[in-house]
Parts: sequence; C-alpha cells; structure tokens
Amino acid sequence: MSDAPAIVARGLTKQFGPVVALAGVDLEVPAGTVLAVLGPNGAGKTTLLRLLAGLARPSAGSVRVDGGDADRRHPRGRVGFIGHHTMLYPALTARENLVFAARLYGVADPGGRAEQLLTRNGLAAYADWPAGSFSRGMAQRLAIARGLVHDPAVMLLDEPFTGLDAPAAERLVASLRELREEGRTCVLATHDLARAGAVADRALVLSRGRVTHEARGAPLAAESLERAYRAAVGVT
Amino acid sequence: MSVFLAILWKDLVTEWRSRDRVVAMGLFALLVVVVLHFALPVAPGGRELEAFLPGLLWVAYVFAALLGLNRAFALELENETLSALALAPADRGWIFLGKAAANWILLGLVQAATAVAFVLAFQAPFGAVAAPLAGIVALGSLGLCAVGTLFGAISVRTRYREVMLPLLLLPLLVPVLLGAVRATAELLQTGRVSFAPLQLLIVTDVVFLIASFLGFEYVLDE
Repeated sequence: MSDAPAIVARGLTKQFGPVVALAGVDLEVPAGTVLAVLGPNGAGKTTLLRLLAGLARPSAGSVRVDGGDADRRHPRGRVGFIGHHTMLYPALTARENLVFAARLYGVADPGGRAEQLLTRNGLAAYADWPAGSFSRGMAQRLAIARGLVHDPAVMLLDEPFTGLDAPAAERLVASLRELREEGRTCVLATHDLARAGAVADRALVLSRGRVTHEARGAPLAAESLERAYRAAVGVT
Repeated sequence: MSVFLAILWKDLVTEWRSRDRVVAMGLFALLVVVVLHFALPVAPGGRELEAFLPGLLWVAYVFAALLGLNRAFALELENETLSALALAPADRGWIFLGKAAANWILLGLVQAATAVAFVLAFQAPFGAVAAPLAGIVALGSLGLCAVGTLFGAISVRTRYREVMLPLLLLPLLVPVLLGAVRATAELLQTGRVSFAPLQLLIVTDVVFLIASFLGFEYVLDE
C-alpha cells in the first residue's frame, strides 16, 4: 500500500441553483485504501462520488484522480464507477454488456476480458442471459464486473448494498476486500455502517455537504463512527 | 472509432430485440398519414394534391423523428446507462456520432414504410423517383438526426423533455425542411433536382454534424 494519495480534492463545492450540495470538501485518499463516505440522504455523498468520477463539474475547487489533472480533462479511464443503478442494458446479455463496456474503454481484447470477468464474478454460467432477467444480486455482480472492465486504479461505489439480501451483501463485502487486496483505491458511499466498517480503512461522515467527522485505521472505531453518523442524521 | 461502432451496434441490437422505437415511430407516422388522408379536402392522385405532398411527407417524417429522438435518450436513463456513456474516456463526439447514426438508420426504416403508406393513401408517384427521393430523404434526415440527437441529450434530463425537444429542435430544423421540401417538390414535379436545395441540405448537414460533435462534450455533464 502506497502513501501517495490516489484521490485529492480541494475545496470541492457543487451547487445546483440555490442548493449547495457540497460545500468546500477537502479529501485525500491514499492509494490502495478503502474510504467509506457515510451520511444521511441529501448529505452530498452521491454528488461527491459523481464529481470524483468526472460525471459532474465542480462549481468550485479541484479534483485530482490517480495523478490525472481533472481541472483540464478528467482521467475518466482510470476510474470505475458503480452507481445507484446497475448501468446495464437489460436487452443485452451479460457478455454483451461487458463487451460493450470494454469497447467504450478501448480494451484490447473485449471478448477475452468479458469472459475473465464473468468467471471471476461467478457469472460464467449466465453469460448469455439477458441482464434484464438477473436478480438484484446477480445484476450487482455484473455491474461490478462492468466497473472493472478497464482495470481501473480507482473504484467509486455509490450505495452498492442497496436492495441486496444478506448473502449478496456479504459477497459484495468479499468483492470489495478483493479490490483492496489488488491495490485498488475504493471510495464507498453507504448508509450501512456495519459493512462499511468491515471493509474500509478510513471513513468520513458528510452532513449537509460538509465533512463533520473523519476516522482512520482498520478496524474503524465503530462507536465514534456511529456517534458521528447519528449526529449527522440528527438522532442522538 | 471503436466507440462509434460500439454505440451503433448497441443501439441497433437493443432496438432489434425490443422494437421499442421503430414500432412507436412507425405507428405514429402511419396515424399521421391516416389523419391527413381523411383531413385533406382533395382527391388522392389529383394535381392539387401533388403540390402538398412534399410538405405532408416531411411533416410525417419530422413527427416520427421527434418521437424516436425523445426515446433514444430516455432509454439511456432506465438503468443510468447515460452515466456509463458519459464515463467513457473517449471523445464524447464519437458517442454522439454512434447515437446519431443509429437514429438515422432507424428513422430511415420508418421513412421507407411511411413513403409506402403515402403511395397507398394518396397514390403518391414515388415509384418513378424512388432512388433520388431516397437520397433527398437521407440528406434531410442526416441534419435532422444530427441536431436532434444533440438536443435529445440536452432535453432528456429536463422535467418536460417531451415538450422541450420539439421546442428546441423545430426552429433549428427550418433550413433542413426548406431544403428537403423544396428538393422533394422539384423531384416530384420535374423528375430532377436543382443544386440550390441540395446545397442548402449539404451545408446544413455539415454545420449541424460538426457543431453537434463538438458540443456533445459538454452535454453529458451534470
């Protein structure tokens, strides 16, 4: 694990008209670590991840991802993003979804990469099933495979546990650990404190677009994290 | 280039499996033909009708295109796949070209069926000039799909996207419609087309394609 930060954000601010979604967030995520971003609905977690991914431009501040200068042109090719939704085409098969994603990223052997990821994520037997026929858990595994198709150094995951049953969520925790062991930097936005604590090296709590609490060192101090989260949610 | 081909392939395959857009556009264009057939106070095949035919044909084409262009990006919102496209590291102009090419091909299929409906409903004399007419329609549709794809992407995240797209697009389509209707009218009346309307179509197509290719870079940002 290197100490060089894979993600650096300075004074990151995003406004949607009069609404300030993020207000001057500073962030440093060392390479090869997992950062959990916690906070209630509307805290700015999704906005933060979308800014880091290059899906939105900041109103003020700057983002640097994996050494790439996002002020000039965001290094989108170095980031894997898994959003609220699966980002899959239901009419395409699992294999076709991955091959399509690989072509978008200019992967040298799209077919071979798709097979590799299907096997890795336990979906090889379902490669020719339409993604629309997948259960939520299978679709999430395929979404993770899609996010990894270009072998990104940084993975951003927005509420990845939403809608998963317990076994599927545990499988996802295992996948996140694998990503960390491979040396990828992960930022995980979630409400799930227990699962975030199980996989993250660092955590920050966002409330109304501001960082209200930061914790680091695995295992994370669950008690103080929960206290900070409860304060952000407004429950004491 | 591979991004362009990937998007084109994806759009055509998903449309082939769902037939979501082509059926809706085709049925809508057919209904326009039926309404026109009953609404017009002139007999099919008559000389009076010939003067109206080019305009009526392009009205049906534009209405069908609006429906298809709206759906083209609305489908990308279903599983947030629009964000997946925006994340691709390639120049976003290639994404635009892939989507526009798919729209152009699908619209072409609907236009061919609509032309047949015009022949049946109005005894339109398209058979004798089928090849040059197809060329004019292809040129007109290129400009329509270029700027329509750009504004489809702009309007898709707005609250009133079904209304927003026609409001944004129709004023910009004036030069395309001028050129296309004039060229179609000349072709039907004389069997030939002068260079002036074709020049207007070609120049408009080139301007719309270049502007949309460059502008698309900023359209997918939130």
